[in-house]
Amino acid sequence: MSEREAVLERLRATVQPEAGRIPAFIYTNPTVYALELERIFQRAWLFVAHESEVPARGDYVTRYMGEQPVIVSRGEDGVVRVMLNVCRHRAMRVVRADAGNAAHFRCPYHGFTYASTGQLTGVPFQREAYGDGLDRSQICLLQARVGSYRGLIFATWDHAGESLDEYLGGMRWYLDLVAGRGPMEVLGPPQKWTVPSTWKLPAENFVSDAYHTAYTHASLAKLDIVASTGFGQAGYHVTAGHGHGLGIGIQHERSMYPPELHPAYERTLTPDQLRILHQVKNLHGTVFPNLSFLIASPVPVDGRWVSGTTLRLWQPRGPNQVEILSWCLVEQEAPDWWKTASRTSYIQTFGTSGIFEQDDTENWEAQTRASDALQARDDDFVLNYEMGLGRPSLADFPGPGVVYEGKFNEANARAFYRQWLDYLLAEQPERPGANGAAAPLAEAAARPGR
Amino acid sequence: MPDDAAPVSGELYLAVCHFLYHEAELLDSHRLDEWLALLTDDVVYQMPVRVTRERGAPSDVSYDMYYFDETLATLRTRIARLKTDFAWAEDPPSRTRHCVSNVRVAPGAGPDELAVHSYLLLYRNRGDDPGHDLLSAERHDVLRRVDGAWRLARRCIILDQANLGTRNLAIFL
Repeated sequence: MSEREAVLERLRATVQPEAGRIPAFIYTNPTVYALELERIFQRAWLFVAHESEVPARGDYVTRYMGEQPVIVSRGEDGVVRVMLNVCRHRAMRVVRADAGNAAHFRCPYHGFTYASTGQLTGVPFQREAYGDGLDRSQICLLQARVGSYRGLIFATWDHAGESLDEYLGGMRWYLDLVAGRGPMEVLGPPQKWTVPSTWKLPAENFVSDAYHTAYTHASLAKLDIVASTGFGQAGYHVTAGHGHGLGIGIQHERSMYPPELHPAYERTLTPDQLRILHQVKNLHGTVFPNLSFLIASPVPVDGRWVSGTTLRLWQPRGPNQVEILSWCLVEQEAPDWWKTASRTSYIQTFGTSGIFEQDDTENWEAQTRASDALQARDDDFVLNYEMGLGRPSLADFPGPGVVYEGKFNEANARAFYRQWLDYLLAEQPERPGANGAAAPLAEAAARPGR
Repeated sequence: MPDDAAPVSGELYLAVCHFLYHEAELLDSHRLDEWLALLTDDVVYQMPVRVTRERGAPSDVSYDMYYFDETLATLRTRIARLKTDFAWAEDPPSRTRHCVSNVRVAPGAGPDELAVHSYLLLYRNRGDDPGHDLLSAERHDVLRRVDGAWRLARRCIILDQANLGTRNLAIFL
């Protein structure tokens, strides 16, 4: 039995999400990680950018899907494409900046030049080098399938699978509150930092874990920034399907949002969504596998209580390292004071220096190191994921999914690992041969999918 | 800082170096209340996001997003938090060493102000990890004389990384 088959067998036998049993080796096992890249990050819809990062024709940002570099580009035709940032000639990285505006992308190695649509348009000394032997129209940067929801651009290498709308399913209702409560934009480039943690721990933390706030973030209660160490309990725990999920912290005083922002919300959201939004005191979740979001608890900014919204990408960088991209998302039409105050609140609470988030990375790093150490054991060190097992769900919540009263629950973590396991154990499509037609040099058509 | 900035006296230069080294010592020995006392009431303390751009691009420093964007009030909150019993990011505390060099001093915008540029190499080590995080930056400061003593009125930290190589910023630069 190969190492890979042995690991799959072990996963099948030991990962039991519905029983609340998850073995610690899955956090950082190198074979598990290789399987994740191949079976999750090569197949699932992955968040790559917000549309406001590429507003004009020629705008691009560079990102990763799994560990593969991609260019997210708004072409000269206005269509957003996501293309592998790898030259078709010798696999050189074509674009090396984080962001910019370009009519074409020129590979630094031999000068192969691609239009912003990905089409190869220029080859230096083509006649001398190739004679008549190179048909440029047959060569294109490899294109991912692209979809977009409420300004969030996703891409996948699975050209035949479900649509983005199907993939997001019921999660769309909740994403509306975060990214679609009106026209939204990100402020500046993302903060970016690297933490010695598996990518799964932060994804799981955001999707499920309101419980940790009572102790990890107890410092905020000591400072009276939150009412008590139990501030994370009141609200709803939403299992949204497909491994997606969120927690909605609820308060019954008045909306966190200033009245001048309400008209845009009223234009965009349904009455049920609007009612929930005005009751939110914080909201956190994950779109499987590695996009998280958060409407943070408000903190005082210049005498007002202001909340910031963040989008978060947990970019895998090896079995025990994650690169974090963190954006601040604001209402595009908001007055400047709100954008500035919202950014101040976000920087103060979340992101690299955030007084809530600082302590999270300490946990994820230590858990990751423990998982590394536990690889040596020949038993399966099983972790307890039982919180909320058997708890009845609500029958009358207006949003989709399975919804529980109270946020101290691990149902979402169980659903996350169920989805994760299903991807890893799925029947694999046959790989085309070395010269197979599945990865043509040319794309039949750019697939904007929008 | 312009190349032709007028030099300041040796005495003033030494006073600035003394200020910066003293500040580094306070940070490295976790005397954060004393550090706060070195800041003016209207201090602006910022660390913008650095990005990788092509050489021809206007700037690789973004003033639209920051790692730190602080006033005295927000710095006070951060330090008050670190003093609670629940600030795990720095409890146990990191061992840090703020190495300050390449200090340049020029007259500032106001009569009691100096424009000060310095390089910072910040070593950070935690727990039993034999490795370390190393942050390199240039700091653009404004020092102001208040009641006869120098105070930090403004700091802009230009980091030499577009992908920050430390797990959090529960420390100050």
